Amino acid sequence: MLAVGFAALPLFTQRNDFLNLGVQIFLAVALAQSWNLLGGYAGQITLGHAAFFGLGALVTRTLWVGGAPLFLALPAGALVATAFGVLIGAPAFRLRGAYFAIGTLALAEILRITVGNLMPQISTIPAAALASYSIIPRYYLTFALSVFCVAVVALLVRSRIGLGMQAVREDEAAAEASGVGAFGHKLLALAISTALVGLTGGAFAYYHVSYYPQHTFSPTWTFDAVLIAFIGGVGTIHGPVLGALFFVLLREVLAVRWVDLHLLIFGVLFVLIVLFLPGGLVGAWDTTRRLIGRLTRQR
Amino acid sequence: MILTQQLILGVLVGALYGLAAAGLSLTFGVLRVLNVAHGELLMLGGYGTFWLFTLWQIDPFLSLLYVAPAMFVLGLLLYGALFQFVVQANEEVRIKNSLLIGFGLTLILHTLAIHFWTADERAVTTSYGGAVVRIGVFAVPLIRLASLVFAFAILTALHLFLAKTRWGRAIRATAEDWEAAALMGIPVGKTYLVAFALGTVLAGIAGGLVSVSYSISPSIGLEWTLKALIVVVLAGLGSLFGSFAGGILLGLAEATSVAFLGGPYREVMGLILFLIILVLRPQGLFGERG
Amino acid sequence: MLEVKNLEVAYGALTALHGVSLTIQPGEMVALVGPNGAGKSTLLKTIAGLLVPRAGAILWEGKRLNAVPPQRIVERGVALVPEGRRLFARMTVRENLELGAFTRRAQTERRAQIERVHAIFPRLFEREGQLAGSLSGGEQQMLALGRALMGLPRLLLLDEPSLGLAPRIVESIFSVLAELHREGMSLFVVEQNVHAVLHLARRAYILEGGRIVGEGEGQKLLQDDHVRAAYLGPLARGATS
Repeated sequence: MLAVGFAALPLFTQRNDFLNLGVQIFLAVALAQSWNLLGGYAGQITLGHAAFFGLGALVTRTLWVGGAPLFLALPAGALVATAFGVLIGAPAFRLRGAYFAIGTLALAEILRITVGNLMPQISTIPAAALASYSIIPRYYLTFALSVFCVAVVALLVRSRIGLGMQAVREDEAAAEASGVGAFGHKLLALAISTALVGLTGGAFAYYHVSYYPQHTFSPTWTFDAVLIAFIGGVGTIHGPVLGALFFVLLREVLAVRWVDLHLLIFGVLFVLIVLFLPGGLVGAWDTTRRLIGRLTRQR
Repeated sequence: MILTQQLILGVLVGALYGLAAAGLSLTFGVLRVLNVAHGELLMLGGYGTFWLFTLWQIDPFLSLLYVAPAMFVLGLLLYGALFQFVVQANEEVRIKNSLLIGFGLTLILHTLAIHFWTADERAVTTSYGGAVVRIGVFAVPLIRLASLVFAFAILTALHLFLAKTRWGRAIRATAEDWEAAALMGIPVGKTYLVAFALGTVLAGIAGGLVSVSYSISPSIGLEWTLKALIVVVLAGLGSLFGSFAGGILLGLAEATSVAFLGGPYREVMGLILFLIILVLRPQGLFGERG
Repeated sequence: MLEVKNLEVAYGALTALHGVSLTIQPGEMVALVGPNGAGKSTLLKTIAGLLVPRAGAILWEGKRLNAVPPQRIVERGVALVPEGRRLFARMTVRENLELGAFTRRAQTERRAQIERVHAIFPRLFEREGQLAGSLSGGEQQMLALGRALMGLPRLLLLDEPSLGLAPRIVESIFSVLAELHREGMSLFVVEQNVHAVLHLARRAYILEGGRIVGEGEGQKLLQDDHVRAAYLGPLARGATS
């Protein structure tokens, strides 16, 4: 329902700021949903998400600006991101819990600093492409991407493999004992998650006119993903979507006065949710609905 | 020659790494809580020293007399408002939740700092700021040397507190086995509170020393949290002096990489070392527990 | 006097104790025997405050004890020597003992009490500066017992004091318990080594599957057929070696 509304939007308005906002939302959805798969469903809280976002962006940008068609550059970016993810998967999953989180963070930081040192110059879309830049294809691309991410995760978590991942999240030892190959499931979650966020990075590279390459490896992307997923409702399908909407819109509304106020609000919200409302907005909505249901039934 | 000079500087900065790590090690060791906002607390301590100097010309080393108790109170507040809820769960959930809470706290403190103090870099420049002690042919910045001595002194004081006093023993006992500690009549909640506040004080003092020996800005939080984490993993838990030594080791490792690879990759060295130790030996070089 | 009334303790969905009731009179030595997994440790932990019961009450000297935090329970005069001792292995013998006297009430008599503990366990005095983790099993049990005594308890709870110890050491531990009992301390001892404890304890309860299934005088229970069959068969061999 929401999706149709968003899909139809460009037919009714050519206003760039609305379409840009849409792109931001779709990117946010994809960013958070890809993290949600690994962190929410498989229970492996990763803080290195930005590494794969950055890799996807880097490869896609380099290829596309260099002349390759987008339909090759984009998957190539995702491929590299996934390959890297799978590569570090084996040693990374030897770490548990907090160590996995800060280990992945360290990894992402290593990439960021290295890229920042090797490619310090800003990357800008060449003049020719700039002249013909239109927001519409980017709007539909990111829209399709966000729908794709949601669909992939939704289908996966209902499948046997997805249930296996959730079993691993709940109790890895117990899952292992009942025949669920914990490592395999975690690796698969990592692979898909990195593929999706690699695509997101690639889409970003296609969308953003000019940026510093190391910016795409900045931990801000990871933090945004975590914030959105948790505030929306980590481990749910609609959580990242709701969270993304809330995140981007709030940022827009507050951008005028206090630049980072939305981060402050999110920080506080995040803390409250972790402590008292682990279901996030989705959880709160479910509880409210049930409460209303009980109240109306009592009459 | 250059290498030795770099190594000396590495030792000097390493002392501060160690101090920062000691605070993190204390809270992690006692509460089993990983406060990733540790670096932001360090940053706050730094700004405390900076403003006390800028507004009221209080010598930075002296200002620590004010910063330390202020940080202690802040630690009490943070524990009371946030982390006391985290410690109610079992250990695995504790670590995960503290990671998330710390993350949220980082965001909040970082944003507030930028808003109130702008993103500009600040440093405390005293009249004796440029003084240099000559050891042979090498130049050792006086302030950094003083910071090292100060850091060591603080850790020694803390060590004595933990070793000799009733509450210090209670903290160590709680760190080892909180249930057994409770059976002794030790109020575990209060012990956690004190340990957390002490960890915050260590972070704040480290921050003060950073502001006078180097520079601070709202964004140094993450960098210093990572440094502290690296040293904690390097040195393991359970020993304040182990953290100090681990910090110096990190400083030396960084200095070596700077001498051979140049400045821009200084951080990378530490991070790579971190990952290697994490994967190979999570309990650290001197540590007793993973 | 300790009163446990209809205590129900659960771990999540799993109920470990069902309606357990018992009493311990002042100055009594009471034993709790039963098979593994019966819930004996759970009962002691609940009395000591480490667990909160789902239903029922614990009264000590007339006042409620359940839902009181463990550190306050120690202040009120009830101390637990936990299963496996749970010493602070990285701290010295002396530090362990001093920690036992953490409560304000115990602090005032700390020095005197350490003398007393050293008199009861001279071996500990020799090893004062040693790390608790480096002691032998028997010495560790002595330290655990001494540590609990530092808290000046009026009721001492012991969870499997003989676990993993050689028979000679078990004898000396139990003779210390007997001495404490003679001096007026109330003791509640959970033991697998039924033979050793039933000789000393005037009364005993039998806990099986989370329920009290029997109660009686120590010596009488030793003769009881059910008890003999369940607990003394293989153990009788152990007692004579």
